[in-house]
Amino acid sequence: MANVKNWQLGRDVAYQYPESRPKKQWAIVFDLNKCIACQTCTLACKTTWTSGKGQEYMLWNNVETKPWGGYPLAWDMRILEQLGRQDWDKNGAYLGKTVIEAADDKERVLHWAPRDEDWQYPNIGEDDCGGGTLDGGAHLRVLPHDKWFFYLPRTCAHCTYPACLAACPRKAIYKREEDGIVLIDQERCKGYGECVRACPYKKSMENPYTRTSEKCVGCYPAVEQGVQPQCVVNCIGKIRVMGFISPPWRARADNPVDFLVHEKGLALPYYPQLGLEPNIYYVPPIHADRQYLEQMFGPRVHEAIARYRELPKDPVAAGLLCLIGSTDRIIHRFDVKDGKASGYDEAGAELVTVPVSEPVIERPPWDARIGAIRNNTP
Amino acid sequence: MLRLRVISTAAALVFSAACATSSTTFVEQTATPMIEVEVPKVAADLSAADPFAAYWNASRPASFALIAQPMLPPRPDHATTDDIQVQAIHDGTRVAFRLRWHDAEPSEAGRLGEHSDAVALQFPVVNDRLPPVTMGAAGMPVHIFHWRAQYQRDAERGKPEIKDLYPNASIDMYAMDFKEAASGSTEEREQFNPGVALGNPQSYKKSGVDELLAEGFATSAVQAGHGSVARGEWKDGFWTVVITRPLVIEGASTLRPGASTSVAWAVWQGGLHEVGSRKCVAMNWVPLKVQ
Ligand code: SF4
Ligand code: SF4
Ligand code: SF4
Repeated sequence: MANVKNWQLGRDVAYQYPESRPKKQWAIVFDLNKCIACQTCTLACKTTWTSGKGQEYMLWNNVETKPWGGYPLAWDMRILEQLGRQDWDKNGAYLGKTVIEAADDKERVLHWAPRDEDWQYPNIGEDDCGGGTLDGGAHLRVLPHDKWFFYLPRTCAHCTYPACLAACPRKAIYKREEDGIVLIDQERCKGYGECVRACPYKKSMENPYTRTSEKCVGCYPAVEQGVQPQCVVNCIGKIRVMGFISPPWRARADNPVDFLVHEKGLALPYYPQLGLEPNIYYVPPIHADRQYLEQMFGPRVHEAIARYRELPKDPVAAGLLCLIGSTDRIIHRFDVKDGKASGYDEAGAELVTVPVSEPVIERPPWDARIGAIRNNTP
Repeated sequence: MLRLRVISTAAALVFSAACATSSTTFVEQTATPMIEVEVPKVAADLSAADPFAAYWNASRPASFALIAQPMLPPRPDHATTDDIQVQAIHDGTRVAFRLRWHDAEPSEAGRLGEHSDAVALQFPVVNDRLPPVTMGAAGMPVHIFHWRAQYQRDAERGKPEIKDLYPNASIDMYAMDFKEAASGSTEEREQFNPGVALGNPQSYKKSGVDELLAEGFATSAVQAGHGSVARGEWKDGFWTVVITRPLVIEGASTLRPGASTSVAWAVWQGGLHEVGSRKCVAMNWVPLKVQ
């Protein structure tokens, strides 16, 4: 067991192998205020990667409604419950145990093993509200809302310290040095399913036809060509951007992912207390229950929400948000000048330039030409 | 030593009692704790694996305690299989092992989250320099014969399709599997099944028993078979599995009358989700006396 640095927890954590950060680390940032659960991402992944036998139930990308949804069933509650208290100190350091630290000496990772019935309800809890029941219609006038739900799109987090990789007794899982993508070697995997038990996010899945385990491949063939993954480029809500995240000590303010996560503190890893340094990051939903969000995103969530609400005053951040969803290519660097935001590839070539604000036209509510009331339906 | 002699006398008594009943009907004998396995020669054809053939009457069952795999996590919390009963015979060219252990109910695996009952025999590749019993070490390979109930199911009923595992599964269409237009070749269709497309032995129909070579944990690799055959039957709370193999397999393990060699074993309780390193194993190598 090694001691490795986990910047998300503000302390060292235990891990099976010594620290070995990749040259670049694959990451996706999602703005949860904008996801509409259209599941286009889910289908984009499904049709690209999991149309084979034994993959029928697999959703490497899924979108669930929080607080009640979860695929597989209650995946998050089941591991959080086992983990015990998850406190943080005043400076943002995690005081509890990680899933690796909480495992006894006969196990590598604290875990639970999903059974087939756990994979039967991908849409459970869809659009169900948290915050109790209501007899009649609700008027949600203040933030956060007392009746709330939000959509949580999820892929594999290509963790810096993957539990799946740590748990595999055959060493059939590896993390690529060039981009941090975590892959299961389909030639060597023997289908023990240790990764399926160990991944607390339940993003490793058994294939009963090939009798191996499979997981999100980060769309590595696209990434190798400088293109963002299928679930990102097909996102209808344009809520996602894929790029490469640096650890905070190497962060660059002109890298879109570093900017959102490190520079602005707008996007946070989910369930960081599990201890794997997951690399999918979320801009938290501003309307949802704060205690619930704190459990999911840690104590920095309050600050992230405050920052989000200040975005209209921040032209650089607003510019970056306009760039998201404007190109299929991976943006390595961006800048915002003269009301325009531009993204550049790894070699520095310009990929796209977009205006930060579109012209606003105000029209009277009554359209005299056709004799009708104009609806303000965005 | 005295205790040992007493034990073997008791075993001999049981043995002669068994033989006395009949030589054409198989009789299940009571196993006694032993420290080695005797491999008598019988006049029988051991090319097929038959757990209840009368020729097993010629071999005294020896029982050996098992321990929860002690080295590499994940490992069992305690010994889930207390002991294994071993019988062995040879016919001059082949050797057969009859392995019997308690298991409350059979588990064959197939569906998500299920695991198979299994047993494995392990032999050193070089007889006079025993490798670590824990699956060998670099430069000190071991030769393994791995039976799974799941592999036997493949051999007897074919490798299961999704509809065999989930009869009510509703599947619109697999890639290139058109109902009315021309479909792709098998190879083209299997491209969408990564383990199959890459030739992973796990993704192909099994013969019942896998032959493997290993040089330590995490290194086992399936080899082309050398004519090993296995068959198991679960009855009344026990698995009885026979694995037969040629005595001499050049380039892997060799068993020769009079020459000393050793054997070890492992048992997996699939119903308790044992698989891979979650297993119960022999404490040490057990000498094999091939007569
Ligand atoms: S495609 Fe985008 S908006 Fe639609 S569900 Fe997926 S993440 Fe949400
Ligand atoms: S999310 Fe799970 S499957 Fe993906 S890298 Fe992390 S531990 Fe492995
Ligand atoms: S990155 Fe690619 S493989 Fe992973 S969930 Fe998205 S589309 Fe699927």
